Amino acid sequence: MASTVIGAGITIEGEITTDEDVVVAGTVRGKVTAKEAVTIEPGAVVEADVAGSSLAIAGSLTGNVTAVERVDLQSGSRVIGNVKAARVTIADGAQFKGNVDMDV
Amino acid sequence: MATDVSIIGQSARVRGRVVGTADVEVLGFVDGEVAVTGSVTVGVHGMVGAGIKGRRIVVRGSVRGDLVGSEAVLVEEGARVVGDVRAPSVAIASGALVRGFVQAGEPDTTPATRTTETARAVPASSVTARAVAKPPVAAPVAAAPRAVAAVHHPPPQVRVTTPVRSPAPRAAAPAHPPAVAANPPAPHPTPRQPPPPVVPAFKKARGQMVKKRER
Repeated sequence: MASTVIGAGITIEGEITTDEDVVVAGTVRGKVTAKEAVTIEPGAVVEADVAGSSLAIAGSLTGNVTAVERVDLQSGSRVIGNVKAARVTIADGAQFKGNVDMDV
Repeated sequence: MATDVSIIGQSARVRGRVVGTADVEVLGFVDGEVAVTGSVTVGVHGMVGAGIKGRRIVVRGSVRGDLVGSEAVLVEEGARVVGDVRAPSVAIASGALVRGFVQAGEPDTTPATRTTETARAVPASSVTARAVAKPPVAAPVAAAPRAVAAVHHPPPQVRVTTPVRSPAPRAAAPAHPPAVAANPPAPHPTPRQPPPPVVPAFKKARGQMVKKRER
């Protein structure tokens, strides 16, 4: 496993750019750009614009979200920002404030 | 999910600080400080562009910055470190490259940061004290104004980048003012120079760039 993991207890202040998956369980302030999937775990705090192929969000996210394929706002997540993706799901119990752009 | 240890993946690039209380493994590139209370591992292909603070630091890749370990610093074979190394226990394996001040053991009377900074403020002694091989002529001249700046700014970055720069412009800079002083009544503000040789275009352009930089 060589993908990038930001564990709980770690804070990154800045920009993350990668060709692989990103899993965030800690805190990221800045920007996250991945070519593969981005997972924001429960308890994670992301104050950043996030871009990836597909995004699964279960933690707290403030910022704009862009995905090539899909964005899943899972139950218990808290998202403030605009979401842009071809497919967007918002689970029951997810908190969300922002615009949804599904490229229609 | 193994999220208790953080990994900066091999293709990942982080531009900014990495701080926290957990362990960090850098397999990619971090262009900024890594300061955690857990252990830090820099993988074979990992690179860190600034200082690392951690409990136990293991370096197998490249670091350009100070390594400060509260417990230990291990510089493994194949590692490249440009910066100071400070920890109660320091190990440098054969085949590792280290350029900088190494302090192993407990800092005794004065704090370690103070001693190294005062050593930096005196350019001549610091140059001789360091294992860094620098041209002795250029060092005192170039280091004197830097030492003043080092009082306010944290010096590691300044120090570390100096050997990387090409020595050509620095060698040219101190040589220039004496040439002006040698013939003050010269009508031209620039010293007399031979006409530019007929050289291929790229060499000529390079010479002009050097001239611009001197002015």
